[in-house]
Amino acid sequence: MSICFDILTTAALLFIVTSGLMMIFGVMQIVNFSHGAIISVGGYVSFVLAQLGIPGWYGWIFAFLVGALVGALMERLVVRPLYKRPLDAILATWGLGIVMIQIITICFGRGIQFVDAPLQGTWHLLGTDYSSYRLVMIPVAFVICALLVALLNGTRFGVRTRAVIMNEALAESLGINAGLIRFITFSIGAGLGTLAGMLITPLSSVDPYMGVTWLTSAFMLVMVSGHSFLSLLFTCLVFSTFQVLVSTYVNPVLGGMTIAVLAAATLRIRPRGFSRD
Amino acid sequence: MKLSHVLFSLGVMTLLGVPAYAADMIRIGVPVGLSGANSVVAPSIVQASELAVDEINAAGGILGKKVELIVADDASGAVGAQQAFDSLIFKKGVDVIISAETSAARNAALPIVSRGRVPYIYTSFYEGNSCNKWLYVNGWVPEQLSAAIVDYLQKRENANTFFLIGSDYAFGRGVLEFARKYIESVGGKVVGEEYLPMDGNDWTAIISKLRAAAPDALISCTAGGAPNVSLGKQLKSAGVNVPYANMALDEGTAKDMGNVASGVLVCGSYMTSLDTPENKKFLAALENKFGKDMKTPNELSVPQYEAIYAYKAAVEKAGSTKGKDVIKALGEVSVTGPRGTVKMDPETRHAALNMYLSQVQEDGSMKILDSFQNVEPGPQCRNCR
Repeated sequence: MSICFDILTTAALLFIVTSGLMMIFGVMQIVNFSHGAIISVGGYVSFVLAQLGIPGWYGWIFAFLVGALVGALMERLVVRPLYKRPLDAILATWGLGIVMIQIITICFGRGIQFVDAPLQGTWHLLGTDYSSYRLVMIPVAFVICALLVALLNGTRFGVRTRAVIMNEALAESLGINAGLIRFITFSIGAGLGTLAGMLITPLSSVDPYMGVTWLTSAFMLVMVSGHSFLSLLFTCLVFSTFQVLVSTYVNPVLGGMTIAVLAAATLRIRPRGFSRD
Repeated sequence: MKLSHVLFSLGVMTLLGVPAYAADMIRIGVPVGLSGANSVVAPSIVQASELAVDEINAAGGILGKKVELIVADDASGAVGAQQAFDSLIFKKGVDVIISAETSAARNAALPIVSRGRVPYIYTSFYEGNSCNKWLYVNGWVPEQLSAAIVDYLQKRENANTFFLIGSDYAFGRGVLEFARKYIESVGGKVVGEEYLPMDGNDWTAIISKLRAAAPDALISCTAGGAPNVSLGKQLKSAGVNVPYANMALDEGTAKDMGNVASGVLVCGSYMTSLDTPENKKFLAALENKFGKDMKTPNELSVPQYEAIYAYKAAVEKAGSTKGKDVIKALGEVSVTGPRGTVKMDPETRHAALNMYLSQVQEDGSMKILDSFQNVEPGPQCRNCR
């Protein structure tokens, strides 16, 4: 039973960490290498909030807002001129990631910071004791997914976003402010990144490079799942199943590589990945 | 030196404003990882060195000569260490190198030490069996740590089955391999041994295996820092509560981790709470010198402090700073410092140490549960010369 929980919670964490990248890379087609640094920002937001004595749960909204603000600045200052030059955007976001990590290092030092988890201990569920915080991540992932699907498919903003992604010139000629749409989408993506950083702190250490270790898996997942959040959820579930099974029954060192290997294999066999269109 | 030479050099020095004893100083080179992986602990090593040198100078120096400390950054790695050692030995002309560094830095620097014929005291714990004619070591090696931890778990916690978790690199695997051999040699059983890559932070599958194996005790040796912390947090959140000894946890980190680390067993040759007059004097002097900037002394900085005194004793015994004489004398002198009396053995080039087993308390402080006197480093360097 606990292996099922392992699979579900790993999938949930992968989804949470990847959703911000999905918004920027999957939906907007900007290869955002600074996503790792954005996640780290989230970890430090939770550290600062803990220092100020603000309890963990409220911090989630605050982390999203800080991330959205950081994302807004990034979009204005660096990313905006590069929408038509995707290769330059890769370099720019990569460099921006390094700069952000160094700024964090200057402000907080290289060392590890500690934040208390908002929820500790285990719950007894279906005959096994399992980490309560990890279990909470499952509904959190579903809620994030539902909100994003609703935003992109159920609102006028979502329609406009898709219009801008499909054909920017046509969208603008119809009176859609493409710049504004991109600005908002990028900010939401960055906000999701910092939120993810805050959500993983009870399970990882808070240090300047905490987000970078997630970057490879996140990119692989987004590349396989195209631009739909539902297919991202599905991809996370499939890949985390393989990762957990390989780690458990073969070797954890190989388990760490399963996502990259599976993503490469999937894209080789089916270049569209898991996306339906 | 002729009198006229002395007068001349005195005159030149006065003109240049250099202190008159500069030509007649003993220089101690301290290459240390001010940048890179070791940059978190490096300041404590530098502070301990400065304190030792200040104390020695205040008490009249070594053989009447003042001691000068030259700190260089080795960037915690091989390339930086080669530059730092090269510059210290061949440009600054140091008489001795004393420092705690990464294994990569030490290995890269040893050929330079051989070429420069300068004694080198390595003051970090490490995976063992680094041997060189010019090298002495006063930190612990896996043999010493494994013995203390396993003995404690077996006798006090009645542990017969053990689960080992580590990071997949030389130190992690090396230390846990000794632990496994030692456990098997004393009749215990290893029911699982799992590794994650050094930058890995998802211990989910390993923790599930650990729970399935239901061992009596858990021993971990991860890379310091992030992996260690993520393992601790995930064990805690998974509700694992078997006796747990962490071989890679230091006192300072444990203090910061607070209740994440509470109950964890930590082993080492130094604990700040050691109740000896030498340790109290050392802590007071450190606090007096650095005030609120004082870094918590640790398993790297205290051996560094003692090694500088060991060098002093060796030079005084040899009556000179000549490399060969000092190396011979280093194997004959002993130093009583914060860790107790430490003597480096001329055969193994390592030191028998008192090892202490502590438990992290709720508030992050350490409580010493048991001590093991004069734990031998095992067969180090027997086949190296």
